Amino acid sequence: MAQQSDSVDGPLNWFPALMGWILPGMGQVLLGHRQRGYRAMGGILGMFLAGVLVGGVDCVDRREDALWFYAQAGAGPVAFAADWANSALLKTGKVGHLIPSPPSNPRLPPPQVTSFKTVTMSNEIGTLFCFAAGLMNIVVILDALRRQPASPKAWTA
Amino acid sequence: MSGILAWIPFLQPMTALGNGWWLLMVPLVFGVAVVHRAVQDASMEGYWGRVLRLTVKANAILGLIALAFFLFVYLVIPLLRAD
Repeated sequence: MAQQSDSVDGPLNWFPALMGWILPGMGQVLLGHRQRGYRAMGGILGMFLAGVLVGGVDCVDRREDALWFYAQAGAGPVAFAADWANSALLKTGKVGHLIPSPPSNPRLPPPQVTSFKTVTMSNEIGTLFCFAAGLMNIVVILDALRRQPASPKAWTA
Repeated sequence: MSGILAWIPFLQPMTALGNGWWLLMVPLVFGVAVVHRAVQDASMEGYWGRVLRLTVKANAILGLIALAFFLFVYLVIPLLRAD
């Protein structure tokens, strides 16, 4: 069993933590823990991209799946980019075409949804991958916030 | 096969997975293990071995939970009296 990694009770590393949200793992890289940071980066971005590959960009949806998105947004701007792609490409009908779906309120006109929208397990698993990527990046950000810099030359508060 | 040919990656869901969707549990757990070990361990020596061990252990535990649910649904529930 490996020992727990080093962390400090001193000043918090706010800038590396912020950079860790913008690019997962970058906080650790700035603090001089390059291997650690690049591995975390690979894991988080790999999970997120795998989620979008399996579920399509529809699995990141800020408006329709807000609760999922709150955690997915932990992965950083990549989650907002996927949501933008979903809104700009699928929901406008630029890719695929829009079809009427059964209305939840019969007095209103039927809402239009993209023909690429599905309720398959693939979509749900994709959502789960992106969700896990976002949650794990929050763990990585919290780690960067408290981790001791590897050397005096590394970023310090 | 035709499902794969018509699939547009990153835009359409990968429906060709069919009933094999649950196998994606393995890469999901692997991804979590990669990140968990990267932030948790003091040293990066032997990192991939520990990632592999965590992946195998977590998948085995999830598999046992799935087996328990399977047995409960298909063996225990049919024994319950309906009246």
